[in-house]
Parts: sequence; C-alpha cells; structure tokens
Amino acid sequence: MNKLTKFRFASVILISDIFVLFCLKGNISAITAGGFLSGILIQAIISVPFALWIKKGKSIENCGNFVKIIFMIYFLLWATAIFSMFWDTSEVIYIPSQNSGIFGKISVLSAIGLVCAYMTSAGMKTLLRSSVIVAGMGAVCILIVMTSALLKSDFENIKIIRSEKFPNEFARGLILSGNLGSFAVLLGNAKGNAVTNSLIYFSAKIIITFIILMTAVLLSGGIMEITDFPVVMSAQLSQPFPSQRIDSLFLMIFSIFGVFSIALQTCLARYLFKSLKRGS
Amino acid sequence: MHNYNVPIIKNLSENIKKIKEISGGSSDVLINEFVTGSIKCALLCCEGMVSTALMCELVFEPIVNIPAKKDSHELFNHIEKYMLMSSDRPKADNYETLFRLLNSGFAVLIADNINYALAFGIQGYASRSIQESSGESNIMGSHEGFVEIIRTNMSLVRRRLKTPELVMEIFQKGEKSSTDLCLCYMKDRVPKKLISDIKNSLGKIKLESVLSTGYIKPFVERNKFELFNSAGTTERPDVFCSKLIEGRVGIFIDGVPFAITVPKLFCESFQTLDDYAFKPYYSTFIRWIKYMAFLTAILLPAVYSAIVTYHPELLNSTMLMLLVEAEKNAPLSITTETVFVLLMYEIIREAGLRFPKTVGGAVSIVSGLIIGDAAVKSGFVSTPLLTVSALAVMSGFVIPELNQQITLLRFAFLISGAVFGLFGISLLGCAVLTNICATENYGFPFTAPVSPFSGSGMGDTAVRSDIKKMQDRNFTVEEYHE
Repeated sequence: MNKLTKFRFASVILISDIFVLFCLKGNISAITAGGFLSGILIQAIISVPFALWIKKGKSIENCGNFVKIIFMIYFLLWATAIFSMFWDTSEVIYIPSQNSGIFGKISVLSAIGLVCAYMTSAGMKTLLRSSVIVAGMGAVCILIVMTSALLKSDFENIKIIRSEKFPNEFARGLILSGNLGSFAVLLGNAKGNAVTNSLIYFSAKIIITFIILMTAVLLSGGIMEITDFPVVMSAQLSQPFPSQRIDSLFLMIFSIFGVFSIALQTCLARYLFKSLKRGS
Repeated sequence: MHNYNVPIIKNLSENIKKIKEISGGSSDVLINEFVTGSIKCALLCCEGMVSTALMCELVFEPIVNIPAKKDSHELFNHIEKYMLMSSDRPKADNYETLFRLLNSGFAVLIADNINYALAFGIQGYASRSIQESSGESNIMGSHEGFVEIIRTNMSLVRRRLKTPELVMEIFQKGEKSSTDLCLCYMKDRVPKKLISDIKNSLGKIKLESVLSTGYIKPFVERNKFELFNSAGTTERPDVFCSKLIEGRVGIFIDGVPFAITVPKLFCESFQTLDDYAFKPYYSTFIRWIKYMAFLTAILLPAVYSAIVTYHPELLNSTMLMLLVEAEKNAPLSITTETVFVLLMYEIIREAGLRFPKTVGGAVSIVSGLIIGDAAVKSGFVSTPLLTVSALAVMSGFVIPELNQQITLLRFAFLISGAVFGLFGISLLGCAVLTNICATENYGFPFTAPVSPFSGSGMGDTAVRSDIKKMQDRNFTVEEYHE
C-alpha cells in the first residue's frame, strides 16, 4: 500500500461510492441531491480533524487490535451490504441464469464470489493499480450517459418534489456513506498531505454525486413513482444513439464497479487481518 | 552424473586415453599427435566445428616451425608470448573446460608433461546468414534479424551501440549443453540491484540443456500465475538496442535467434519500430487501431454470442432481423457454432504451421475454400457468425506477440458470455484486469504507464509524441519501478 497516490486513493473509494449511487432505491428529486451533497459536506468537515490526526503519523493500523477488529468486521459487513445492493439492483438489469431457479442463482453467486475471491487474493496493490483503469472506464461511461441525458432531459423535472423532505434526504445521504471505513484506513497509507488527499476525495465525490443524481432527476423525474432504481432507470432512458441502447455499457460498468466494491472491502479486511497477525 | 572437473593429466598418452574415455570414442573428436620444438604434442578439435582453412593457416603452419625447447612449459610459454594464433586464446586446466572449449569450436593443444591445455578460437561451423526477422517485419527500419550464433548477435548489437557503457557478460548454463548465455545491459542505465537480481534468478538454473527462450524465461519471470509474459522476446537487433537504452536487461542464448528482454510492459506489445519512422499523428492512429484490434480479437465473438443469445434488445431492428434470418437455419446454437468455427481455425492454423511448406498451399485451399465455403453453403455455419469470427481472428494478427493470450482469452470470454451474457463478460473482464495489474517483474508493474499513471509515459502509449520531445525525456523503465 506504500504506493497509494492521491489519485489512486480517490479513485478506489469513488468507485464504491458511485456503485452505491447506482443501487440507490426509491424516489429522488432535487431535494435528495441537496440532502446528499450537504451530507458529504458535513463528512468532509468532520474528516479534517481525522486527516490532521493522520498527518501526525497516526493510522488505523497503528491503533490497538480492538480497533482493527472493529474495522475488519465493519468491512465484512459493508461487503455483504454492497453484495445485497448488487443482488437487488441486478433484478432490473438482466443477468441470464439469475431467474432460472436455484441453480441459476447459485451459479451467478458463485461467479461473483469467485471473481471477488480472486481479486482479494491478488492483494491491495493490484486492486489499487486496477482502480485507476476501472475509474477511467467509469468516467467514460458516465460521460456518455450524461451527454446523452442532457439531450433528452426535461428540466421541468427539477421542480417535481413528491414526499422528499430535506432532513430525511440529508440523513439518507449520511447513511449511504459506508465507504468512510475504507477512507479511514486508506488515508493513513496515502502519499502526500492527508488533508489535501481528503479534500480531493470529497470534492470529487460532491461533483460525481451531483452529476449522477441530477442526471437521474432530469431523466426519470417524471416517472419517479414507478421507478425502483432511479439511476439505473436514467441509464436505460438515456439513449445516445437513435437505434441502439446504451444499457449494455451500463450493465458492464455496473458489474465491474460491483465486484470491485466488494473486493475493496474484503481486501481491506484481509489487509487488517494480516496486520493483526503481524502484531500478535 | 560424471564430474569432469578433474585436473588434466600430465602424461600425454595417459591424457589422450582419458580424453578418449570421456568422449566415449566419439568419431567427431579428432586427435592429431605430432612433435614440435622436440616436444610430443596433440592438437584436438571437433570435426565440423572448426574452420579447416583457419586451422591450417593460423595453427598448423606456425606451430610446426617452433625451434627446439627444453620442456613443455617453455613451449607453451613461447606459443603464448610470441605467437598470435587467434584472438580468443583461453586455457583449460581441467577436462570440463577442455571439452567445453573443444565442443565450442576451439582447437585445443595439449603436450607431454604439462597439466594444462591451450585453446585457439578458430570456429568455423555452418550457420545461417543474417536474414530479415520472420515474426517482426517492418517497413522503414533495418531488415536484419538475429541468428543462431550468439557472437553474431552480440556483434549486431555492438554495431548499433558503440558506447563502452554497453556490457555483455557471457556465461554458460545447462549441465549437458553448456550453452553460452549473454547478459547485456547499459551499465549507466540499469540499476545494480536489477542486474544482481537477474543474475540471482539465472543462478537458479539447473537445467540439463538450454534450447530456447522458453527454458530461461520462467527463471526471469515471477512464479505466480500470470496470463501475460513479463519478460519480452525480440528477434530484431534495433528493437533490442532500444530496450537496452531504456534501461532493460537483455539475454542472448546461443543457438536461438531471439533475445529476452526484462522487464516487459503491456504497452510494448503495441509498439513497433515503424511507429517512430512514420509521422506522429499516423503512428498514434495505428496505435489506437492496435488497441481496438486487441479488444476486438478477444471480445467480439463473446459479445456477439452474448447479445444475440441474451440481449437482442441491444441491437437495432434491421440488425436483429438480419441476424434472425441468418441464424434461423443454423442447426447449432450460436455459442456451439462460434466455438466450432474458432476451434476449426485453431486446427487449421496449427496444421499450417506444422505442415511442410510444400503442403501449406493445399492446407489454405482446403480450409478456405472447402471448409469455409461449404460450411456456409450447407447452412452449418451462419454468414454473420463466420464474419465475426474472421474479424476477431484477423484482429489478433495485428498483435502477433499476444497471440497465445488472445486465443485463450477469446475462448474464455466466449464461454462466460454464453453462460452469463454481458454480465459474465464483465466479471471475467474484472478477473483478467486483476491478473494484468498483478503482473510485475522485479518490481516493474506490467501496466505502467497507465497504472501507475505517468503523464510523460503516455506520450509513447496513448499517443506517439514527436521525437524531438521524446529526446529530452531521457527515459528509462526505472521511472515505473514500484
């Protein structure tokens, strides 16, 4: 992990953050975007003292075994939560075999499990290296979806607000910040100034969250009541080419981001486990 | 296992007896006994390995005219000091060295009452002349390729890099073959640690023989499962020189017209010497064509199979109707058809490679006309599928260096696409990406300069910058070391 640059640090966590947004359930509106962005801003402010603590040469690995165990359990639970989101969302994105009985479900589960296990076994260094490439692919995908969304957007959708209340959406934004655990462990290993690294990450997170949520609102705002997964729906509605659909690109990025997010959590858990073993 | 590392016997007749015993009376070991300087001597050589003309001119003629000497030591001293029989004149004090020299084309002089032998390098074995490389042809660069003789290859490199910084260290590996290996590097460009690490790796070789690059590569690559080679090979001296200048280490093997270079980066597979001869914008265009060809070669059959089988909604209506029309008469499923076509191609390719060249034409006719045409006309294989397979195969030819990986990955992606559709392709893509990112050699990541990202490195990866810009960079691979 000693080669964790600020860009790798930001990209590896942002991939997980974006995936969580992909799996966002329920109605969203401009209020949601506002709530989420405020939530991220609060996190950024809270992270400053933590970054200053890191700057003094401290890190989670240097804490006691109890802290490490807590973080390890947290990573495993968050990996399970991400997997659950993956599984739920994949119902609206067609995965062959998933709907063909128990055998089909087991085969999809095994495939995901195998790939995640392989990625975890390859280690943190490999995951960090691949994060840059995956993030690049994701950026291209989001750019295509966003560009085509702009052409089909209905700006009247921004005004549509159903039952969303700012405090609720703010709380929802805070709840969806499960990757702060990864942030806490990785920040201690990132090269450079911890405060700068932290600010780069949160700035990028604010921009990407805004882009994704607003794209979803502009495209599927009108049909939000019948939409389970607004971000997925916006990808399905945003068709840049007159006769071909972009779903395939989204499906691929969704799957890659999904397994990558799970692998990040399991990799971090493995990393802390190794650190525990070294300590004992 | 015999140990021939024993001192040479002083007595000439005993010595000759021992040599005959070690060689098992092999017919090609020639022993010419004679007297010179009133000392009994014998000149040994291996038939076919020495130049007869050189031996007569440089060894026989001067050696028989030596005035009388009081003993063998004085005779050998006279030869060493006053006679320049060849430029390469090692000594052998044991039978292991003696036989290695003898079998390398040296003439070996032994004499009575002396416990060492003098050898003269007068090699003259038959060898292939320098020809154009068969697998790495180019348009604008040199047309010379490496040959089987290690010293010729060394001279090809030395001719291009006249700097004293270029170091070439020869050593032997292979208990039976005693193959000459040559480690080449620019001592001002390669970190000492990398050289010592590579030497350590090569020190672990305990093979009986070294007959191709495949015998050495596993020792200079990591032992972990890696799909792609982290040690490169080239048969072009100009490419080899460019790698040395970039701080890589090269290895020659005697008898092999390929050189190994360490470390290797993924982006190198897409670079050719012609890229630097053409205009930068054209080279950049060609480079991107190669990247696309790589993806097409691996993914096209899988994506076709996945979309047609599971995601037809991704196709526009015209394309969908066209495919439905073509596939409705095909007796096999699309995946089976694709596997069949690709397997047939691999069989034909292998047949074309292994068959005698005289039959090669017949193989092309049988494969192209009879199998291809007949399979489509009979409805056994659909035309779109054949087009897709042919496109994938043709794209693979653009990057011949990655042919093995492309072939296997094409099948792996096809099967994953057939089982799980685009989702399966994405999952396997993740696994392959992980494998590529995990590949490294002596701390040099295979994916550099993409990850770890190097902006300046992208000047010769994403694009091909102007040579004037590149000359200021003074690049070595050490920049990417992690």
